[in-house]
Amino acid sequence: MTKLTKLFLILLFGCLFIVITACSNSDTTIDDNSSSEKDKEPFGKYDPAIDVSFVRSIDSTLDLALVDGETIEDNVWLDYYRDELGINVTYDWTASAGDQFDQKMNVSLASGDIPDFVSVNATQLNQLVKADMIMELTDLYEDYVAPFAKEVLESDGSGPFDAATIDGQLWGLPNMSSSIDGAEFVWVRTDWLEKLGLPEPKTMDDLLAISEAFTTQDPDGNGKDDTTGLAVTKDLWDGYAGLKGFFNGFHAYPNIWIKDASGEIVYGSIQPEVKEALQTLQDMFGSGQIDREFGVKPGDKVAEDPAAGRNGLHFGQQWTSLWPLQANRDNDPNAQWKAYPLVSVDDQPARPQITLGTTSWWVVRKDVEHEEAIVKMFNGFIEKNWGETAEFDKYYMPDGAEGTWKLSPPTPSPPNKNLDAFLAIREAVGNDTTDQLEGEAKVINGRVSAFEDGDDSLWGWERIYGPEEGVFGIMDEYVNQDLFMRDEFNGAPTPTMAEKNATLEQLQNEVFTKIILGDADIDEFDKFVEDWKSLGGEQITQEVNEWYQNVN
Amino acid sequence: MRSSQLPLYLMVIPGVLLVLIFSYGPMLGIVIAFQNFIPAKGLLGDQEWIGLDNFLYVLELPNAFRVLWNTLYIAILKIIFGLIVPIAVAILINEVRVMSLKRTIQTTIYLPHFLSWVILGGILIDILSPSEGIVNMMLGWVGIEPIFFLGNNSWFPITLVGSDIWKEFGFGTIVYLAAITGINPELYEAARIDGANRWKQTLHITLPGMRMVIVLMAVLSLGNILNAGFEQVFNLYSPQVYESGDIIDTFVYRIGLMEAQYGVAAAVGLFKSVVSCILVSLAYYLAYRFADYRIF
Repeated sequence: MTKLTKLFLILLFGCLFIVITACSNSDTTIDDNSSSEKDKEPFGKYDPAIDVSFVRSIDSTLDLALVDGETIEDNVWLDYYRDELGINVTYDWTASAGDQFDQKMNVSLASGDIPDFVSVNATQLNQLVKADMIMELTDLYEDYVAPFAKEVLESDGSGPFDAATIDGQLWGLPNMSSSIDGAEFVWVRTDWLEKLGLPEPKTMDDLLAISEAFTTQDPDGNGKDDTTGLAVTKDLWDGYAGLKGFFNGFHAYPNIWIKDASGEIVYGSIQPEVKEALQTLQDMFGSGQIDREFGVKPGDKVAEDPAAGRNGLHFGQQWTSLWPLQANRDNDPNAQWKAYPLVSVDDQPARPQITLGTTSWWVVRKDVEHEEAIVKMFNGFIEKNWGETAEFDKYYMPDGAEGTWKLSPPTPSPPNKNLDAFLAIREAVGNDTTDQLEGEAKVINGRVSAFEDGDDSLWGWERIYGPEEGVFGIMDEYVNQDLFMRDEFNGAPTPTMAEKNATLEQLQNEVFTKIILGDADIDEFDKFVEDWKSLGGEQITQEVNEWYQNVN
Repeated sequence: MRSSQLPLYLMVIPGVLLVLIFSYGPMLGIVIAFQNFIPAKGLLGDQEWIGLDNFLYVLELPNAFRVLWNTLYIAILKIIFGLIVPIAVAILINEVRVMSLKRTIQTTIYLPHFLSWVILGGILIDILSPSEGIVNMMLGWVGIEPIFFLGNNSWFPITLVGSDIWKEFGFGTIVYLAAITGINPELYEAARIDGANRWKQTLHITLPGMRMVIVLMAVLSLGNILNAGFEQVFNLYSPQVYESGDIIDTFVYRIGLMEAQYGVAAAVGLFKSVVSCILVSLAYYLAYRFADYRIF
């Protein structure tokens, strides 16, 4: 069944559903004067307890979170909300994560039958506002948020709130997730560097030299010409073997909106720096440093190369040592990789581009009686996991369980929590106080120490969190030097964006790929810029600037 | 209605209900093709009616005609070879005298039908690779330069057709084999007495005997004129071959579903259904007119 027919079924089912439920769905108007009598206590307990409804997705990882006969409807988190906050969490329905959940969710939205609190993406949020189905939360948030929760929620800039702000009013609470974890690094196979007597990459020239040497000087020493320089996937922008980090080295920022010298917001993909980076990639492809067939290979195919010892250089996010590099280590215990900061073509440092990590927001159905309950649950979740009274071993990751935090409906987490864990580990190792580590840092440090004690299957963890060479040491530098190039546009797609973005994106990836392959001349880029503008890009730029004026 | 037929009519009710609920009920949703559809407002909600704007929007997209052309090109090739190959194979298999061999072949060629394109996509990237794929290795033995089947715009559509036929011809073969089994053996006997060799028998008995089934399959497959195969293309294409491989379904997937423009997606779906319906009706009429054949 094609996606299209599926969509038809979903929507049309939704239609039947409405017909069936229409009679019972008479217009309910609720007077909203009751809030004046409410306590405005961030952790105030309801007595008697109130019922609030949610929906949730289920996946197999939840089995690891549930211990001692717990269920989705009865577990430590729901106990906490009931006993401490007087909030009974009920689920209208549950469905398997992925397609099934999305379909049920679409039916829910189409039929107007949404639970009290529901998490949605920016596009859905926009539609719910237009359909007048959800409540405005500006004052509610300010009135009820706990100081620590506020600090966490506002620690990733204004982006997470901008995306849920329409006409100056807040409509959703960000289910915070890390933005900086999306930053890229240069990952290099250092045992090959040593073997070929090459310096560590400090500049783009170093990197290009490494790429060439890895291609031509037989770094694996098998006498065959079977290695490539730079690993690239057909999707161009993946978290493993994507090209964002490479472009950033040329001070080019594809796919994101950046501020130019005059303060205008412009699209990164059409700036002249991009051309220079593409030219270099074309040269690299021409001299055989990039896999001849990269244009048809998705990430998991490309990943076979480093695993089999045929590639030793890629741009990627902090996790690539867990996948796919761990497979390389498993096959070849002598393989060693290390992450380096992005390299630059000139004396200006390369700035890693990042987009908003938060991708979902909690919204409140219009006629809900205790709308502030969701803020209290936010307060509770953040406090019990990372606050003063945190009980990590009970709520986040108890012994024998994994991902217990997922049992809570809202799961906003501090955006820098992985970096914080690394810093805690590094400090503890320096002071020899690792036995005092708590929470996630303790668990991770356990893995790093196990690697140091000889468990090579945890090598990938040491590469990320190891106090000496862990990639988060570089992330810390990125943060300290404030290097990140953030996407300036965080809203729901603008009208023209919704209409044209797919076409423009296709145009871009097609032209970029052809230029890299040498099928198109580098001057095709100039034509692409013109086409991009005339096919709607100009209008989108205008809309993005209007949005930017509105939120700032 | 004779009373003896009553149980038969009763037995038909569940089937009719299913068709009504799952095929006719959902047709109400066609309305969103003419709306600026916002899901949260619901199907019967206060949607903005925009007439044919969704259709015009698609036609005005820069790649609309490229996509339409690719779809027709790939789909027509698939229809033609999807008919010829199974018929030829069915006739050949029918000539196999050793029963166990016949069965083995039949099962083996039917197997790929059960694999999903997600899995086949990965396998095809490997075996069609110009540098280390087995197909190009074999071509190399006979002195043919490696061909980049999945990355070359002239080869990509052919690769799509070829791999689709390879996956599905086993299924079609079974249908035609069944038709051959239904031919009266006495006809062959009579032909042999008249001195017809194997080839003449195939030409004058087997093929005419299969005529009805062939016409039926041809009429039905015409409905697929705008279906070039979403799952297959989606798993095999890449920006490198958008030019020759981007089809209506993948196009709509990107502009309609990824960007939440459901009205547009519905408009294209409706367009495809209408074209298919017209073609099937036309083919049916022609089959009736010239081959004196009625399906129903």
